[in-house]
Amino acid sequence: MSERTRPSDYGAESARIVRDDPGMRTSITGAVRSKDEKRQAAWAQIDAGAWRDWARDVKTHVLTHLDRYLEEAEDALLRNGVTVHWAETAAQACDVVARIAADHDARRVVKAKSMLTEEIGLNESLEGAGLEVRETDLGEYIIQLLDEPPSHIVGPSLHRSLEDCRQLFHERFGTPLDASPEALAATARRILRNDFLEADLGVSGANFLAADTGTIALIENEGNIRISTSIPPVHVAMVGIEKLVPRFEDLAGLIQLTARSATGQGIGNYVSLIQGPRRPGERDGPDEVHVVFVDNGRTRLLADEHAWEVLRCVRCGACLNTCPVYRQTGGHAYGWAYSGPIGAILAPGILGLEAAMPLPFASSLCGACAEVCPVRIPIPELLVYWRERAVEEGLTPTVDGVAMKSWAALAEHPGAFALASDLVGALPLERTGRKLPVLRGWMGERAAPVPSPERFLSTSSGKEEST
Amino acid sequence: MPYSDAATAHLPDEPGGDTPTRPSHVAFFATCLADRFFADACADAVRLLEHLGVSVDVPPGQTCCGQPAYNAGHRAEAARMARQTATVFAGTDQVVLPSGSCAGMVRSFYPALLGDAADGGAPGLAQRTHELSSFLVHQLGVLGPNWRDQTGDPPRIGSGLDGVSVVYHHGCHALRELGVRDEPVALLRACGADVVPWGGDTECCGFGGLFSTKFPEVSSGMADRKLDALPPDIDFVTSADGGCLLQLSGRARHLAKTERSPAVGPEPTAGAAPGFIHVATLLRRGLGA
Amino acid sequence: MSPRNRILGYVRGATASRPRVPHPGRFDGRFLVGDDRPPMERFAEQFTAAGGEVERFVDTEAAVRWLGEFTRGYESVTVGATVPGRLRPALPSTCPDLAPLGVSAAVAAVAETGSLVLDARDGRRTQLLAPTHVVFVREQDIHQTLVGAMVTLQPDLPSALGLHSGPSKSADIGQILVRGVHGPGRIVAAVIREAGPV
Repeated sequence: MSERTRPSDYGAESARIVRDDPGMRTSITGAVRSKDEKRQAAWAQIDAGAWRDWARDVKTHVLTHLDRYLEEAEDALLRNGVTVHWAETAAQACDVVARIAADHDARRVVKAKSMLTEEIGLNESLEGAGLEVRETDLGEYIIQLLDEPPSHIVGPSLHRSLEDCRQLFHERFGTPLDASPEALAATARRILRNDFLEADLGVSGANFLAADTGTIALIENEGNIRISTSIPPVHVAMVGIEKLVPRFEDLAGLIQLTARSATGQGIGNYVSLIQGPRRPGERDGPDEVHVVFVDNGRTRLLADEHAWEVLRCVRCGACLNTCPVYRQTGGHAYGWAYSGPIGAILAPGILGLEAAMPLPFASSLCGACAEVCPVRIPIPELLVYWRERAVEEGLTPTVDGVAMKSWAALAEHPGAFALASDLVGALPLERTGRKLPVLRGWMGERAAPVPSPERFLSTSSGKEEST
Repeated sequence: MPYSDAATAHLPDEPGGDTPTRPSHVAFFATCLADRFFADACADAVRLLEHLGVSVDVPPGQTCCGQPAYNAGHRAEAARMARQTATVFAGTDQVVLPSGSCAGMVRSFYPALLGDAADGGAPGLAQRTHELSSFLVHQLGVLGPNWRDQTGDPPRIGSGLDGVSVVYHHGCHALRELGVRDEPVALLRACGADVVPWGGDTECCGFGGLFSTKFPEVSSGMADRKLDALPPDIDFVTSADGGCLLQLSGRARHLAKTERSPAVGPEPTAGAAPGFIHVATLLRRGLGA
Repeated sequence: MSPRNRILGYVRGATASRPRVPHPGRFDGRFLVGDDRPPMERFAEQFTAAGGEVERFVDTEAAVRWLGEFTRGYESVTVGATVPGRLRPALPSTCPDLAPLGVSAAVAAVAETGSLVLDARDGRRTQLLAPTHVVFVREQDIHQTLVGAMVTLQPDLPSALGLHSGPSKSADIGQILVRGVHGPGRIVAAVIREAGPV
């Protein structure tokens, strides 16, 4: 297994990627700009403001009644013949799946793309228990072959070019080095078709779960999710507790808005609406369906008076696609399953604030993300909120706190502030800047700012000139 | 924060237009960054306001709006600076700033930071604080009431920028917190400037206050995207935010020195790379003030 | 205490003092950007724009004749359980994972999204595994909106419904669109206006 970075590596990783891997930035930027343009076009076809208000309100309604909806969903699932499990931690969630696998003597698992399973490290856990796990989404399959983490919530292999894929498939499967994308896809289809047919267990996530009918909704374009949840005899759906939706009919709006926001499509090419195992009279379908409700920090987020709004997220990736910081590095620099703006505000809840550092600071607070979030999560406000918490908990460098307190003290004493400002003007910044704290970061990449010969306030000082 | 549509703070604000009569007197908040690094732009802002018939007071004791502290999560320090600012500007008329990000700070965050301060403190201050170009268009009405509906060339207010070609960088706070977007561009055009389209003009320059020093490589990469997209043969890159100009010009000069990229210089000369200049300076020139 | 009860306990504690927000109501026609064309037309436009094919038939006879032509060149077929007898091709039946062609009957379609609604009762493998997929649907079963279709289908849900809105596709290989990655690379929506007796 390759070295995975962690959020704490963001500073070094982002610097390395920007400096040494310009191809990454180019691929990522091209890909996300295309997605963002498609989203814009798709939003222009609808009353996007009204759709977003509705989606925000549906999700907020669920979150403010979540216990009721979880119980209602459980009842519906049980009525449908689904087995319901609950897992508080990532480890527990992995154990549940391992136990289900053991109960069925399962050896082979096929997986539909699921960010939650990345978050809890399910693949590693199952492989550790001796199971063979095959990712079936083409992008996930590619990064599985490369043993890399996903670089984007919706397009995990975004950072890999056609050339990279040709090289990979040539090495693994002997396809020609100039194979067309169609030929590569056909190769993957053939290999994975066997895996589908021989799998003992299919694992998926869930985009949404309707509480009244117990419906698991899954959105995709390839068909691997429909197949993984239809052919293996056992289907396990991993469902974050925030994925609940009140009613079956609510799925219509959320599915459409998510698709438009993620890829600009009116709807994902395949949508699965699953009510449970195969029924008498049905020719096929799994004999057993399990739902695992996963907490893993979500209740902690829910209890937070500010951060709970992040739980509205529908995992569309629109914020990543518009983020000027994300496109500099792609997802790998963030060091965990969710990258970009949503990753930065989710991490403190799921991983804990200390483990999430410095992600809440890895943003220029430009606000582009908030403009595109389909459920109107106030991402910049939440970034600032987590920064405040980081300061309160002593997770930021001491020198920052000292500098800020000094600055505030100066600001309260205008005479002293003016003196300090004059001093800054007198310093030979170009020469000495590299040695100063804070400024040092500036100097490596930019020329020192040139102060005006005299400050405005020292010349005007409240005097008016007659007009 | 109770459940609230906080995200709309980032949707276009309908700037101003609340004053029933045209203001004849304003208080000027230089802001610490412009005071130190764009003193000429501050003076230009004052002169152009006076030229337009507005008398300008520069209240003593003004220091910093507190935004760097606020954005870095140092809320207590930000509140202290906000209190100082609110005290200095208590009871003044409209307050004008040559900075979108500082105006955004006051308008968007002072009310929550300062709570229900008495003496018409924060709530009143937030509502009567304006970024310069927004003030000119919405409070002074220099472009007339239907300036947005104009097809073709906007009505002229000056000719000092005839033959001058510029690109406009939209600072993120002006754009998304204040909803100021078309105002500065329209003002420049109304003075004769050719405001040239620039791909990525609304994309963040990478300054982000302390972000630029914490993650300098990423920050510079963001500046590079902007600089790489600059159209050829323009005279100036301009903006309502000094921080953005320091970031872009600093990066441009660094690249020129290290010969890594299209050379851009601090001052315009014929046939050379563009200069980086505050919009207040251009508008003063444009109005002939 | 079980994980279930602990989790529910945390949830209750977390939401106890927060103001409750009501459900905003059905996601309804008020959100549609005005398009008053008949459902058949919208469906055809959406489905073909996504790379699907649409064939229209005045009645079942016409569909049967077309099917005869279409299936020339196929050696075997897998047919869904709910496909009416007359629309079952005169070809040897084979396992869904070996068949070059799958024929299904949809319970409904959606115009605004260009989607066929497929029911597990018809047979999921038939709908998913063959590289070419023909789906019969009655024109009267095309709903204008997705929410309308879902409200209609809700009283009688099978183990799974699948909304299929075009051929299987992916852009994961260098951002280049390819079809038929896992699901059928070719899908034909065969719409019959006057279905007649089954």
